[in-house]
Amino acid sequence: MVDPAHVRGPREDWEAEFEAAARRPLPTRVHFSFIRTYKPVLDDAPYRSFETLADYREWCERNLPTWLGYGRTL
Amino acid sequence: MAARFDYPQAEAIRDVLSRHAVRYLFIGKSGAILLGFPDTTQDADLFVEKTAANGDAIASALLELGFELTAEQAAEIRRGKDFVQLRNGPFDLDLVFAPDGIETFAQAWSRRVEVAGFPVCHPDDIIASKEAANRVKDRESLPRLKAFREYWLKQRRDR
Repeated sequence: MVDPAHVRGPREDWEAEFEAAARRPLPTRVHFSFIRTYKPVLDDAPYRSFETLADYREWCERNLPTWLGYGRTL
Repeated sequence: MAARFDYPQAEAIRDVLSRHAVRYLFIGKSGAILLGFPDTTQDADLFVEKTAANGDAIASALLELGFELTAEQAAEIRRGKDFVQLRNGPFDLDLVFAPDGIETFAQAWSRRVEVAGFPVCHPDDIIASKEAANRVKDRESLPRLKAFREYWLKQRRDR
């Protein structure tokens, strides 16, 4: 049986990750943090603009696959 | 598809926008990453002050960075439409002139954090904007982002 005193919770893991990130130079952090994957619909137009942020949110709700996470519900 | 955003692109934003005297802040997860948050994202988000002069400045800066803007698109950016998504340049970039959860640019500017010359929103403002947006992806990232804020504040206190 595992002793609960020796089980690390997510907060301890996160803190260890924050510490490790702090030891890396900024260019390295940026290099490994920005990834590029195709997002359907969202990446299919070279330019979009919205008069208000509410218009943008509504467009996301109506047009993007829910699994992208840009809506308020899945 | 545009090139992946990397440090040289971040430097280009910083240097070109500085040369054009653009008032802006990195916001969202890209801002948090500059502050040290270990996570991933796909594009950079800039909170741009909504004034006529700043609109002119950011439009000129984007053209210099290599974004292919039509005259109509440049006019929209000069005017400061609240949200502009750019996929027509050397990297992906989102411009937000009125983010959720932040009252004014001036308030966010007064709390900004400078990281190697990059003007970045304070973690409180990044969190406030994600809380107000309340999207699924925001709710997923908020607990860890809040834990990072506590870590970041403690590091600054202990310096």
